[in-house]
Amino acid sequence: MVALIIAAVLAAGPARLDPDVLRARYAGLQSLDAEVVQRKEGRFWARPFESQIRLRYTPDRIVWETLSPVHSTVTIESKRLAITDASGSSRELGATAGDPRVVALLGFFKALITVDLESLNRDFAIQYGERELVATPREGAKARLFESIRLQFDARYDLIAMELVTKTERTHLTFRALERVPPLANGGAGAPP
Amino acid sequence: MKRTLAILLATGVLTLVVARTFSLDDDPIQSLTDPDPAFSELFERYQNRSPFRGRIFIEMDALAPGDRAALESTLRDTGYREEPLFQTPSPEAVLALAPLLPANDLRVILGEASIRRRAEMALSVAGLPGGDGYLAALESDPALIGQALLARLSRASSATPGLAPRMFRSPTPMDYERVGKVYDALVALGPSLHFIGGDFFAVENYRAVKRDMLLCSTLSLVLSLLIFFLCTSGWALIGLLLLGTAVSYLTGLLAIRVFYAHVFGVVLAYTSTFVGYNNEALVHLSGIDGRDARRSLLGVWSAIGTTIIGFLVLLLGRSVMVRQMALASLGGTAGFLLFLVPYRGVLRSAHFRELDWPKVTVSPWIVGAMCLACTAGIAWIGVPRILTRVDDFRFQTPALDAQVAHFSHALDALALENVVAIQVGGSPSAALAELGALGVMDVSRHPLASWRTAQEQEDSLQVLREEWPRATARLVTVLGEAGIRMSPAPHAFEELHPLSEWEFLDRLGALGPVRWTDVVGDRRFVFAGLRAGTSRPPGSKIFSMNPRQHYDALLTGLSQELGWLFLAGLVGMALYLGYLQRSAWRVVYVFAPLFPSALAFAVYARATGAPLTIVHVIGFSLIIALALDYTAVAVSTDHRALELSKVFLTGLCSLATFGVLVLAHHPVMRELGITVAIGCSVSLVFALFVRLPARVEGAS
Repeated sequence: MVALIIAAVLAAGPARLDPDVLRARYAGLQSLDAEVVQRKEGRFWARPFESQIRLRYTPDRIVWETLSPVHSTVTIESKRLAITDASGSSRELGATAGDPRVVALLGFFKALITVDLESLNRDFAIQYGERELVATPREGAKARLFESIRLQFDARYDLIAMELVTKTERTHLTFRALERVPPLANGGAGAPP
Repeated sequence: MKRTLAILLATGVLTLVVARTFSLDDDPIQSLTDPDPAFSELFERYQNRSPFRGRIFIEMDALAPGDRAALESTLRDTGYREEPLFQTPSPEAVLALAPLLPANDLRVILGEASIRRRAEMALSVAGLPGGDGYLAALESDPALIGQALLARLSRASSATPGLAPRMFRSPTPMDYERVGKVYDALVALGPSLHFIGGDFFAVENYRAVKRDMLLCSTLSLVLSLLIFFLCTSGWALIGLLLLGTAVSYLTGLLAIRVFYAHVFGVVLAYTSTFVGYNNEALVHLSGIDGRDARRSLLGVWSAIGTTIIGFLVLLLGRSVMVRQMALASLGGTAGFLLFLVPYRGVLRSAHFRELDWPKVTVSPWIVGAMCLACTAGIAWIGVPRILTRVDDFRFQTPALDAQVAHFSHALDALALENVVAIQVGGSPSAALAELGALGVMDVSRHPLASWRTAQEQEDSLQVLREEWPRATARLVTVLGEAGIRMSPAPHAFEELHPLSEWEFLDRLGALGPVRWTDVVGDRRFVFAGLRAGTSRPPGSKIFSMNPRQHYDALLTGLSQELGWLFLAGLVGMALYLGYLQRSAWRVVYVFAPLFPSALAFAVYARATGAPLTIVHVIGFSLIIALALDYTAVAVSTDHRALELSKVFLTGLCSLATFGVLVLAHHPVMRELGITVAIGCSVSLVFALFVRLPARVEGAS
C-alpha cells in the first residue's frame, strides 16, 4: 500500500501553477518583507554583480535597501522614486514624474512583488508552468523595458525567485526569509491543492 | 396611387444615397479660417503642434486606487492610448543647448564632487531590476547636462503649477456613444477629478443636438399636423406635408453634400424647421381660386422669391455653418416644390376653413411713419454691438465650465493660456521688451530669459571643450572600479557655436510640446504668453494664438459680414418686390413688421447688455424667409378671408416650429427659436389685423 502511494506521488510530478490559487494567495496582501540576493549580468557589468537586499512592501511604498556591496535605499511611492546613496545624500528622480513609461514601470514593480496577476496581464502575456509563470510583453505594452520575466514559487505558492531580462541585462533575484501579512494559510481558502 | 408609390421609391433611393454619403461633423468652429492666409497658416500650425489637439488630459492623482484602475480600464477599452506629456529628446538635441548653461555651473557639474555623486547615484539605480536603462541614459549624457538644462529652463518659466495630468490620445474616428461613457465615468468620479479635452465638448454638443433634433422635430411635426388638420379638416394636405418634408429633408442634406464632405450637427438640428417652410409653400399653393388666381400667385411668388433671395444672400458669407444652413434650405425648398408638381390636382382641390375677423385699415403714411419712428427709436437707443463668442456655439455644462476654469488657471501659471504671435523684424528680445514695458507680459517668464550673450556662451563652450572629456573619463573610471562598464561616445563640442536668440527658441521648440517661433513666407514670428487678464495690444503685428480669442474675433467678423449681407438681401428683396408688386407702399407694408421687431430687440439688448450675435443675424434672415411671407401674401391678395386664413394657418405652424426651439438645449437652436418666434409673432399679428386701404392693396 505504501509502495503504491509512493509510486502515485512520484508519477504525479510537480504541480502546475494554478492562477486562481495564486490570485487567492496574494489577494489582500498588507505587507511583505524579504531578504533578496540579486545577481546581475549584462553589457554594463564587467563581471556578474551580486548584491544583498532587504525588501519591504506595504501598499503605500516599496523600500529596496541594498545592504552590500554598497549601501543605498530606493523608495518607490506611487509615482515617486527617491534614492539615498552610500554617502547618505537623498535625491528624487522628479524629472521623470508624469512620464507614463516611468509611472508604468513603478506600477509594474509593485505588481511584480505583490503577484498582481490582473495588472501584469494587462501588459504581459502570461504562461503558467510547473511552479512558475513566464510573462512576455504584449504589443504596445507600457513597461516595454523587459523582454521576459519569470517568477518561481514553492509548493506553498511563496515567491522564491524572479528573473528579469532586458535587452542588455539579466537579473536574477532569490527570495529568502519571506514574511508576509497576512501569513499564508496551510489549508482552507486559497491554499494550494 | 402609382404616383405616390413612385415617389416613395424615389425617397427610399434618396435615403440610401444620403445614408451612404452622409458624415457628421460636431464642431462648426474649427472650420473657420482667418481671411489673412499667412495668419491662418500660423494659427493652424501652432494649434496642430499643440498637445491639446486630439488628446484628453486627466489629473487622477486624487482618485482611490480602485477608481483609478477602473477608469484606466474604461479609457483603454474606449480606445484612448496614454502618451508621455513630453517626448524624450535625443541627447544630441539636448547637448546642442549646453552653451546656455553658465560656465561656473558647468565647472561644478564637471567637477570631482559631482562625478562622485553621479557615480553613487548610478550604482544605486543600477542595483534595481531594469537599472540598465538608467546606465544607458548616463552613457549618452555622462555629465547629465540635459537635467541641468531642464532645471534651468524650468526655473525660467516658473513652472510650478502643481499640474500633473496624464495625456491620452483620442480614438479616431470618434464613437460618441463610447466616448460619452468615458465622460459620464469621469463626471461620476466627482469634483476631485480634473479632466479636459475637445472630446467632452463634442459629446455634450452631440447629446444636445441629438436630443434637440428628436424633441423639436417631433413636437413641431405633431403641432403642425394638429394645426393643419384643424384648419383644413382633411388628410390629403397632411399626407403631402409629411411625405414632402421627408423629401425636402433628404434633398436639403444632399444639397449640402454636393459642396461639403461633412455636415455639421447643428445644421442637422436646424433641418427640423423645414416643416415650417414647406407648410407655407404647400398652403399658399393650395386651394387657389380660379377667379383670384393671379393675386394669389402674386402673393405666393412674393413669398417664395423673398425666401430664396434671403437664403441666396447667406451663401455669399464665409461661414461654412451658415452656408450649410442656406444650402439645406434651398435644397429643401427646391425638393419640396418639385415634389408638389405631380400633385397639382390635389392642391387645386384643397379646401380651407375660411375665418374672418375685423381689421384695422391704416393709411400707408402711418405705416411709413411707424417704420421711421422705429428706425429713430433704434438710433436713439443705439444699434446693438455685434459680438459673437465661441461659447455661443458650444453647449456647455457647469461640470465642463469648472474643468475649463481649473485648467485655464493651470495654463496661466505656465504663461500658456494667453499666447500671442508677434511679427518681429529684428531681435525677438527687443519685441518682448516692448510688451514688457506695456505691462502685458512678464518677460522673465519667457524662455528667452534663459538666453545668454554670445560671449557668455563662448565661455561655457570653452569649459565644455576642456573639462567634459576629462570628467567623462573620470566617471568611467569610478564606475569601472565598482564593476560597471561604460563607454560614452565622444562629443564634438568643437562643432557647437553660440546660439542666436532665434536659434535658441527654434531648438527649444523642437524639444518640447510648445512652439516658440515660426516663419510664414518672409514673416518671422515669436510666441509669448501675456499676463492673465490683459489683452493683446493693438497693432497689426500681434496675433492671438488663444483659440477662444481667435475664434471669437473670427465669429464677430463673420457676424458683421453677415449683417451687411442681410442688409444687401433686404435691398435685393425690396427691388424684387417692387418689380412684382408695382407699388412702393405695398413693399413698405411687407417690410413693416421688421421695424418693430428690430426695435424690440434693440430695447432688449440695451436693457440686458446682450450683444447681437451671428445667430440673431441668421434669425433675422429666417424672419424674412418666413414672417415677411405673411404680409406679402396678405397685401397681395387684398386681405381676402381665404388667403388670410392660410396666413393664419402657416403663421401658427411657424410659431409652433420655432417656438418649440425654445426647449432646445443647444444655445444656437434656442436663440434662433426665440428670435424667429418674436419676429413671426409681430409679423403675423400685423398681417392679420392691419391692412392698407383697398385702393392701395387692390391696385395692380
